[in-house]
Amino acid sequence: MADAGGIVGRADIKSAMFNPGGWKSLLTFVILALAWLAGFSSRLFAVIRFESIIHEFDPWFNYRATHYMVEHGFYNFLNWFDDRAWFPLGRIVGGTVYPGLMVTSGTIHWLLHMLNIPVHIRDICVFLAPVFSGMTSLAVYFFTKEVWSQGAGLFAACFIAIVPGYISRSVAGSYDNEGIAIFALMFTYYLWIKAVKTGQVFWGICTALSYFYMVSAWGGYVFIINLIPLHVFVLLCMGRYSKRIFTAYTSFYIVGLICSMQIPFVGFQPIRTSEHMAAAGVFALLYAYACLRYVQTFLSKAEFRTVFFFAAAVAAGVVFLTVVALTWAGYIAPWSGRFYSLWDTGYAKIHIPIIASVSEHQPTTWVSFFFDLHILVCAFPAGVWYCIKNVNDERVFVVLYAIFASYFAGVMVRLMLTLTPVVCVLAAIAFSKTFEIYLKDESPRGNQRNSEDGTDNKNDRLYDKVGKTKKLREDRPKEEEGLGMNIKSIIIIALLMMLMLFAVHCTWVTSSAYSSPSIVLASYGQGGTRTILDDFREAYYWLRMNTPDKARVMSWWDYGYQIAGMGNRTTLVDNNTWNNSHIALVGKAMSSNESAAYDIMRMLDVDYVLVIFGGVIGYSGDDINKFLWMVRIAEGEHPKDIRESDYFTPQGEFRVDAQGSQTLLNCLMYKLSYYRFGQMQLDFRSPAGFDRTRGVEIGNKNFDLTHLEEAYTTEHWLVRIYRVKDLTNREIIPKLNKPIKKTKRKSSKKAKKTGIIKKKPKIIKGKKTSTSSKKTVKK
Amino acid sequence: MADVKRICGLLVCLSFIALAGSQTKKKEESLGDKVQQLTEWNNKKSIIRLNGDKFKQYVKTAPRNYSVIVMLTALQPQRQCSVCKQANEEFQILANSWRYSQQYSNQLFFTMVDYDEGPDVFQSMKINTAPVFMHFPAKGKPKKTDTMDIHRVGFAAEQIARWVAERTDLQIRVFRPPNYSGTLALALLFSLVGGLLYLKRNNLEFLYNKSCWGVFALAIIFAMISGQMWNHIRGPPLMHRNPQTGQMHYIHGSSQGQFIMETYIVMLLHCAVVVGFILLNEAHSLKGDPGKRRIMALVGLGCVAIFFSLLLSVFRSKYQGYPYSFLFK
Repeated sequence: MADAGGIVGRADIKSAMFNPGGWKSLLTFVILALAWLAGFSSRLFAVIRFESIIHEFDPWFNYRATHYMVEHGFYNFLNWFDDRAWFPLGRIVGGTVYPGLMVTSGTIHWLLHMLNIPVHIRDICVFLAPVFSGMTSLAVYFFTKEVWSQGAGLFAACFIAIVPGYISRSVAGSYDNEGIAIFALMFTYYLWIKAVKTGQVFWGICTALSYFYMVSAWGGYVFIINLIPLHVFVLLCMGRYSKRIFTAYTSFYIVGLICSMQIPFVGFQPIRTSEHMAAAGVFALLYAYACLRYVQTFLSKAEFRTVFFFAAAVAAGVVFLTVVALTWAGYIAPWSGRFYSLWDTGYAKIHIPIIASVSEHQPTTWVSFFFDLHILVCAFPAGVWYCIKNVNDERVFVVLYAIFASYFAGVMVRLMLTLTPVVCVLAAIAFSKTFEIYLKDESPRGNQRNSEDGTDNKNDRLYDKVGKTKKLREDRPKEEEGLGMNIKSIIIIALLMMLMLFAVHCTWVTSSAYSSPSIVLASYGQGGTRTILDDFREAYYWLRMNTPDKARVMSWWDYGYQIAGMGNRTTLVDNNTWNNSHIALVGKAMSSNESAAYDIMRMLDVDYVLVIFGGVIGYSGDDINKFLWMVRIAEGEHPKDIRESDYFTPQGEFRVDAQGSQTLLNCLMYKLSYYRFGQMQLDFRSPAGFDRTRGVEIGNKNFDLTHLEEAYTTEHWLVRIYRVKDLTNREIIPKLNKPIKKTKRKSSKKAKKTGIIKKKPKIIKGKKTSTSSKKTVKK
Repeated sequence: MADVKRICGLLVCLSFIALAGSQTKKKEESLGDKVQQLTEWNNKKSIIRLNGDKFKQYVKTAPRNYSVIVMLTALQPQRQCSVCKQANEEFQILANSWRYSQQYSNQLFFTMVDYDEGPDVFQSMKINTAPVFMHFPAKGKPKKTDTMDIHRVGFAAEQIARWVAERTDLQIRVFRPPNYSGTLALALLFSLVGGLLYLKRNNLEFLYNKSCWGVFALAIIFAMISGQMWNHIRGPPLMHRNPQTGQMHYIHGSSQGQFIMETYIVMLLHCAVVVGFILLNEAHSLKGDPGKRRIMALVGLGCVAIFFSLLLSVFRSKYQGYPYSFLFK
């Protein structure tokens, strides 16, 4: 791409050697191509280190769906009922998914095959996000160009190409909605700005179409459909109403509304839910306002003043009351939990533990802001300042975007993604303004020399100042003198050093934090040797090969998509956490004792249970560390049977060693994680059964499983799979079971202590003699 | 909070030594009378105040068919127990919710014993801290789990209700009297702004003042990017005092957490960098002698460089293994 650009550019040079406009567009083109290239290549760490592989959790579902669509066609995909998920409920995939991602990669796949380029769909999925990051930087360039200047646009394009806040969701292999959605977001905003500036229906419709693509790609489209009306509303309040805005908004809103309702997953939401009501309200308001403006032409000034205020207040009141009344009457659904928790920040924690439990829904510390944005986060408020100082219609939009996005990013780590583009834009404005002032030289000759010297990406960015400075010089030729050359170059060098630091930081962050596929782990030895821990795929492959096709696998929801994608087996719950009670049931099974869990598992027809156990290699993201969330979610639905307090020591600690609570030491999750672990001595310094993740010796060692049996444990014990036994033929067993179960059920009242304390010393006595002879297992 | 509790405990301990007398007046009453008496009290007040004698008579003595939740507390101002006040408010909310609920019956009573009214109760229960929530079941003696673990779960009314439900199988839906303070503050703010606008109606220039709006927008942004929302949700301490050395830590050691003080520092650093940027840009358009402009530009650059590198070093100290720094280590 870049080479082609270069060649075309060079051909241009000959004809337009002395035309500064030609130079300018050539430079712009080269810089954008380089930004695309830099953005693409810095996202390839994971592919180079490991292989071309789909990452993490959600991408596995997207990949599976894409694969299905490519194989069976689009209409079959829309009607796909997936009986391998949410057993026994199943999931209507076509109606519960944003299909934009699958359609995009399907189209690319189809195009390439038309051209007889046989690329596997997996590779398209892996490289989709990096390719789209280049498109995002183009969109950001155009956006910034409209808002401020071309120079700032180039800065912004370079920033967005490498900023970690965006890379975090768009490395190669992270095949997720966000990868294409940020492009759609910025492109929609660009078209919107264009529509506001020109006031043409054409641009309004373009905005709507781009919005349609965004709706098909990501649930974050709600951000657009609230921000654009807000922009219009604020413009109205500022008295900046014009026919351009009227045309732009009305054409966008109507076409966008109709388009967005074509997505099955969205359906009638745009006219039925509160999240979308702001847009409708502003639409009505805009009409009322336009009507008033029309009336104005017939009235005298004094008459109009009274009419105007009265009518404006009435219109706003009527719109508001209509929405409230419709909500109250049930025609409009109130805010859904996920959106509500953005405003009332304590809401999710109390009412919806499943939302609160997801790590990307946590609030953001200043460290993550700095980590993801580095110098941009310090510079972008300056950009906001200048946008307000030199305000016009489109800059109002940028300022609103900055304020709201920073609020949302503060509430949820995940929404850092929507903040990142505007931070790049505004930081680019701040830097570009500074560079414009200080890069300007006394003589135009020297200026060109200076810019020609540059070789690396950073200096490339300064090229465009040539044209820009010229323009400025025409405006204000007098303000040239004053600051000497020396001071100017000192300032420029210092700023360049900071930008260089930014580039280095971005690369480091990308390489160290955001480029792990998380299904293949790597550990580094003392000599820098690398060991690949491929336990996840080992286990899923085992599932795929050694279990019956219809086998049902129970695991915590995190691993649902992976089991379905890699193991091709039916799961009970997965990462599409739509059914809280089902998840709570799995959580209850995991946190009950074995016999009670067996009842639940029989009820759910479970064949295999899969747990992730990191105690052998010290992997901290394992199920025991997530266990409290299982308990909490289970408690939310079954407060009679599961109580969080039972899993703590009397001092309120969560510990798995001998002092841990007996309920914890006998629950299913504990047993499945630590089965046979008590006999395992990892090294000679630590006792047998020493859990490396929690750094303690486990409390309950020699136990047997009655209703389950170990089916498979991977090399580093990271994944353990158990088979659920059938009911035995003998009648005695249930009788034996019942008392245990009964005492457990009532445990918190009375009988617990007698039952378990009797057992416990036996185990402790047993372990010390039996385990001493075991050897370390290879790491 | 823990300190206050400790002080309370100490006070109570000390006073045990002073007040060693205990009365042993026993007046046997039939079960019916007891229930009737309690119900009568309960009709007047949702929390029944007990002293030492009444406590013995209605809570400790055997024939009972009702559960009693007792809050042992020290509400007198001289005890300086600020936790007790908060706990009392929550307890009051719960008791009211029970008193006015549909399922209100005489199976459960909410009572309280103030230390200054019944020190002998504290003595006999061997309690030397306050507040303590205890449940006395209808039958048998209270066990260990009949004392609520407020260290772990806190004493929010919902938590107490949950614990009560665990102990007695009576579900109480906590009904909080709606909190008007937020609405009131908002209304006040609006009326203030409205009033101000009305007073200045002849001169609304300030509404068109871009600097005002700029400062306002930047304030929101600074608050957000310095993690004030995190503080609001998680409620970290202002700063941390190392118990061994007595040294104050303003900066949290890990990248997962932060102190309130730290976020203020970070906010100031952000501000300083932005001010530096603005100075850098304004230096150019300043009218006056070139020397002044030069100084302004250099000050701006200094602000940007120094405060940015300070920010970087704070970040570095929190993010273990971060390799880069600028100007300072």
